[in-house]
This record gives sequence, C-alpha cells and structure tokens, in this order.
Amino acid sequence: MRWTLLIVFAIVALLASVVMGPAAVPLNELLHSDIVWNLRVPRALLALLVGGSLGVAGAGLQALVRNPLADPFLLGLSGGAGLGAVLAIALHVSGPWALPIAAFVGALAALGLVYRLGLIGGAALDPRILLLGGVAIGAFAAAVTTAIVSLADAAELRNAFLWLWGGLSGASWDTVLIIAVYAPIPLVVLFAASRPLDLLALGEESAGYLGADVERVKRRVYLAASLLTAAAVAVSGVIGFVGLVVPHIARLTWGHRHRVLLPAAFLGGGALLAFSDTLARTVVAPRELPVGVVTALIGVPVFAMLLRRWTIP
Amino acid sequence: MTAPLLRLHGVRYRYPGATQDAVQDVSLSVAPRQFHAVLGPNGSGKTTLVRIALGALTPLVGRADVIGVPASQWARQELARTVGVVPQREDNLFPQRVRETVLLGRYPHLTLWGAERTQDQEAVDRALRACDAAHLSDRWLWTLSGGEYQRVRIARALAQEPQLLVLDEPAMSLDLKHQMELFELVRGLVDRQGLGVLMITHDLNLAARFADSLLLLAEGRPIAAGAPAHVLTQETVQTVFAWPVAMQTVDGRPQMIPLRKREESRA
Amino acid sequence: MLRRLFVFVLLLSACRTSARRHDTAPAQRVVSLLPSFTEILFAIGAGDRVVGRTQWCDYPPEALAVPSVGEGLPPNIEAVAARKPDLVVVYKSGANMTAVQQFERIGIHTVLLDLNRLEDLGPATRTLGKLTGHEAQAESLVAKMDSFTYRPLPPPTVSIAFVVWDNPPIVIGRGSYLDELATQAGARNVFSDVTAPSAQVSLETIVARNPQWIAVLSDSGKPPDFARRREWRAVAAVRDGRFLLLKGSLFGRPGPRSGQAIAELRRMLAR
Repeated sequence: MRWTLLIVFAIVALLASVVMGPAAVPLNELLHSDIVWNLRVPRALLALLVGGSLGVAGAGLQALVRNPLADPFLLGLSGGAGLGAVLAIALHVSGPWALPIAAFVGALAALGLVYRLGLIGGAALDPRILLLGGVAIGAFAAAVTTAIVSLADAAELRNAFLWLWGGLSGASWDTVLIIAVYAPIPLVVLFAASRPLDLLALGEESAGYLGADVERVKRRVYLAASLLTAAAVAVSGVIGFVGLVVPHIARLTWGHRHRVLLPAAFLGGGALLAFSDTLARTVVAPRELPVGVVTALIGVPVFAMLLRRWTIP
Repeated sequence: MTAPLLRLHGVRYRYPGATQDAVQDVSLSVAPRQFHAVLGPNGSGKTTLVRIALGALTPLVGRADVIGVPASQWARQELARTVGVVPQREDNLFPQRVRETVLLGRYPHLTLWGAERTQDQEAVDRALRACDAAHLSDRWLWTLSGGEYQRVRIARALAQEPQLLVLDEPAMSLDLKHQMELFELVRGLVDRQGLGVLMITHDLNLAARFADSLLLLAEGRPIAAGAPAHVLTQETVQTVFAWPVAMQTVDGRPQMIPLRKREESRA
Repeated sequence: MLRRLFVFVLLLSACRTSARRHDTAPAQRVVSLLPSFTEILFAIGAGDRVVGRTQWCDYPPEALAVPSVGEGLPPNIEAVAARKPDLVVVYKSGANMTAVQQFERIGIHTVLLDLNRLEDLGPATRTLGKLTGHEAQAESLVAKMDSFTYRPLPPPTVSIAFVVWDNPPIVIGRGSYLDELATQAGARNVFSDVTAPSAQVSLETIVARNPQWIAVLSDSGKPPDFARRREWRAVAAVRDGRFLLLKGSLFGRPGPRSGQAIAELRRMLAR
C-alpha cells in the first residue's frame, strides 16, 4: 500500500513536471512541443535523478556517521563546490561546462581533504571525524570563497552564489545523460551496502562480529555518498533538505532496513524534488523561486505530520 | 577426536604504545558441549583475549585457531556463521522490534542480493524459542527489561547457527533472577544444542556453578585453569582478588563468600 | 542629537572660512564615488575639482589621472578622507548608508544622489552643477541629454530580452535602466511585465516569449558561453546567434553617454 502510494506520487510528480509550467503548453500540443521535450522532460528526469541521489546519499550517510542530523552537505562538499565555481569565474575560465566542472572538482578536493582527515587516527575511518572535518573544511572553503568574492572585481561572482543556492535551470538532455551514466555506480554501491548498514547500526564491533567488513563498508559508503552529492552540486547547486529529511520520512514509513529504505528514499527524494521544482516554476510565474525553498516548505509539514502519526509513545 | 572449536596456545599480545603485555602465555581450549569461563579482576586481559580469539587482534606470539584455522584468516562472513558473539556493549542506533534485531543474526547466511528465506525466519523462531523470548517477538527493544534484552541478544547470536558462542560479561547489570536465568539458558544451550561456550564473567560463583572449566587471569597472566574445584581455592582467590574469602561447596561446586576485613584496633 | 548640535555649534564658531559648502561657496575638492557622477562632473567642466574617484571611473580619459580611492563598494572611508575632500558624492543606496554616517561623523560633507533611471540624470546633473558652481554648464548638459531621449516613445519594432546570468536565468525587468534604453531604442522588453529591476525566470518562459534578440553585457565581443549549452539552444535567438553584446562601461549605468548608448542600440537592432 505504501509503495503504491509512493509510486503513484512519483508518477504524478513527473507528469506534473511535464504538463505544468509557466509557458502554457496546451495538452494537445504536448507531444510536439519543443519546450516540453527539450526543457521540461529533461528537467523532470534530472529532478528525479538528483533528488533520488540526495535521498539515498543522505540515508547512507546518516547510517555511516550514526547521526540522524547528517545531511549530504555537511561533509564540506558544498563549500568545495562553491569555491571551485568562484575560482573559475574569478580566473575567467570560459566554456559552457566551466562552472559545473569547476564545482565538481572543488567538491572532490573537499572530499579528499575530509577523507584524509577521517583517517587521521590510523587506518580506520572515524565517522565522527568525518563529520567534524566536513564542517571544518566546508567553513574554510566558504571563508576563502567570501574573501575572493570581496576582493575580486566581477559582479558575476555574486551571481555565482545564486547558482550555488540550487536549481535545475541547467537541465538538458546532455546533463541528464551525464548523470544517468554517472549515478548508477555509486547508487549500486550504496544499495549493495544495505545489509552491512543495518549491521552498522548496532555499532562497529557488533557489526564486525555479524560478518560485516566494517572498514570496507565505511569507505565505500562514504565515497559513494560523497560522489553522488558532488555530482548533484555540480549540476544543480546546493538543494538542501532533501538529503536530510527524505530518509527520515522514509524511515517513519518503511522502517530501518536499508534494503527497503534506500529505494524508498530514492523514489521519495526524486518525487519530492520534481514536485517542488514544478511549484518553483509555476507559483510566481514568470518568475521562479529557488527550489530549495520549496523543498523545505513542503518537506517540513509532511515530516511533522508523519512524526505525529507514527511517534511511538 | 574433533578439533576444538576454539584453541589459544601460548598467546601473547601487547597493545601498540603500551608498556606491558595485555596478555602473556595464555592458553585455552573450548570443545563442543563445553562451557568455558574466563575470570579475573578488571584489567586482567579478558576482553583482549576475546578479540584475539575472534581474529580482531593478531597475537605477537602463539596461535589462536577456530576449528583448526587461525582466527585472523577466517573470512568475516564465514566466521560469523561459526561463532556467535554477544559483546559487552551494544549501541543500537535506531528503534527496532525484537524480531528484526534477531533477524540481523541471519545476515551471515544471506547472499548479497538475495532476500530472507523461510529457513531464515524459521531459524529466528528457533532462536527465540531457545532463549525463551518467543513471546517478545513483536516488542520494541527499548520496552524490554535488562534481562529480556540480553536474552534477545543471545537469540540473535543463536540465529547465526554458530557452533561456538562467545559472551562478554553478559550478566553484568542483571538482577539475581535474570542472572540465574541467563546462566541456566547458556547451560541449556550447551547441553541440549551441543554448542561450545566461551564466557567472560566477573561472577566467580555463577561461573563455578555452571561452567565446565575455568581460566583465571591476573594482569594478563594465567593463574589457574581447569575444573572449578581445582581453580577456585581459597588461597588462589585471596591472592588474585586481594580480599579475604571463605569457601563453601554447593552442588559439588566451590562458592566463595567474601569476608569483612577485621581491623586490628577492634577488640 | 545633542552631539550633532554640539558639532554644529563647534563648526560654526571655530571655522568661519570652512562654512558649510552647500550653503555658500562651491565645492573645491570633490570625491566622486560613482562612475556616472565622475562623468557628469567632467562633462560640466568641474573635472579639475575632482580629487578622488573609484577604480571603476574610467571615462573620460582625463579621469584616469585622478587618484583612485578604491572600489567604492563599500566606500573606503580612510582613502576618501585622505583626499581631504569638502564634498563626497555618493550613490543613494542602502548599502552606502553606513559609510555616509561615518563621513558625517568625521565632518566630511556628503551628498546622496539617485541614479537608477534616465529621469534621474537631470536632477543629478543639476545638483552637481549647483554644488560645484557650474550651473550653466549643467543646464546645457541636461538639455543635450534630453535631446537623446525620444518623446513620444518610438513604437517597438523588435522584441528583446536582457539576460544578466544564465544559471539560474536572470533577466532585466521593467524597473531597470536597461529596460528604459530598450524602450528608447524601439525595442520591447519581453519581460516588461516583471516590475522588479531584475528577476529569476524559468528558461521555458524565455523560450515561450521568443525574443528576437538576446542582450548581454559583454566586454569581450564574443557570444556568451551559455550560447553553447543545450538547454539554451531551445531559445530561437540563441540558436540563430542573435546576440546584442553591450559594453558594460557604456550600457551599465545612466550617464552623459546614455544617448550614445541608445544610438548604439538602435544601430545594432537595425542590422
């Protein structure tokens, strides 16, 4: 029943993305419309992929760092991406893919630094240090970014922050193709880690005694979740809230077994983002709201509602 | 003669950066249908011994074999199908029901993408029954008492269908009734299901009553090993635990009663 | 309040020669914190009075000889004070209010001027003329600038959209100077229904409204990078390469050369 509802919600969200929009496209023209095929359909698919990736990455990370407040953007990736983008603009790097590539590289650099910090205690990856390191590296990157923006001269740099705030404006068949080829690998790695993640919830020692290769799982989950997030930031900026709350909503409905939780988080995150994007495009047309605002405005009441119904007394 | 389930021989280990050995020259062996308890004061190296036995630490000297194969060479999942461990502490992050948490014990038997099968559910049922916890199956973990929670954890270890059960201080924070029930449970598993059991415990008396053989450690060194009556003598206990005791026999097993210290000044 | 009164009395009693400038003598040492103000000052013949400019003030060429006091956003109080001005001309915006207060606190007279749209040019020029004692030149400049603008407005013959940023797409709306230029040049801004000076819109809106030209601020003379992005090629004007590349220094702000900007725009549209 729950799955049916979720799948229906996802389909409705995707359809709404295609049918609704600020440019009124009559239903009978949908199939031939340039706007629909070149803009709306890729945008809906990108929303599904990015939202789904953020949902799964968030769920995995929360299990890894054993902290329900973990969000994919806590790992310093958004700071690194922002710094990469701003550097690209300040250095006048040109090209239609300059910003996404620079942001991706920046995110990877942050990933590497945080990972290195996480290993500081020895060969074992310490999730608590990952969290702290992520916050620290993110803050550092943000500080450097602000310094560059205030010292350099382009007004465009201020617009870079708009990009970083998140949005699916850059969606095209090219972008969708890239993410569709890239995302499955880290997604599969995360899905394969479902059972070890269940075990990890008991603590690293117990998980090891129940057959989990704890070090390998931690590494893989961290890298896979971070790579998904880095790609998401590169194509759509920082869309907060999805990675934090969708896993919780999914847990309240489906429980903690990751075999079920991760697919639910994928569909739920994708559907939420697609739906939010449609609202962002239509509510104040011809203007557009930042999609992260809409995801929060929708997600919080849903989350609160579920908490009330399912909170165990 | 089958290989013992667990065999440590002349094991020595020192933690990196430590000034002295955590364990030195320790040997023990656990066979099927044998309940072996390891005793000793705090810091005597008991938990280190468990880690070596399970391949988590590699001894500097000596061997640690599980069914004849060095513990550190076992593949994680295969070891989990052979040895069920109930560590001292568990930090369960998310709320769970009893049945779900016992099901985690079946994971070593599941393939990467395969779903849980009927035989897995049946193993969970059997484990819960053996631990007298079947009636708790749908309860949330945090609603359980300490004793019930420990039984559930043992049920999870049993669901692994191991040959050897390792328990680290399982009765530590339990009240009298639950302590006795836990030891009876473990004894029953040894007698009826033919498991081998290695238990770390503080409780001298219960270990003496229920275990087949004891190993007494002090500062990482073995003091005495063998049958309870042989190991727990008044002299040995008083020396190792630095406290005067009187010894009694119950059910043919030695029981020690700590004495109050008599002060010289009192008449 | 009491402190201001005290300063007033002090100034009045202590310095008869340095009486408040805007009442009596014209300003002799002016620091201009906006390129348009610098242009106007030079255009009304008060260029020799300008002792400080921002680093962006690059027109007329004579302005480059004037020492720079930094970016101007926000104003560098010390750098300005070091030029010992008796008048600082500042663009009226919320961001500059703190600086204005600081100038006043150290006794530097500051004047805030609006300069957002074409109609602000006249008043600004006249004020600057009065402050520097060049009222006559200011009047003739105002007359000249009036002749640039067309009344009544020419009927729009082409449609246009100003794209300031591509991801997310930011366009210029009705409230802005660029929109005014477009109207003067006979072009209709397809986003003139947006009242804000600039706003984020969906790409599909741009596609649906199908402007004939896409205007971007560009100093390089090359088409913008986003022209090569697949999603932007859904816009007909991008596909056909119909870009208007507007130089930032000429088109970015109202000033004496606005007429030149309008003429340039008309010329580009006539191609």
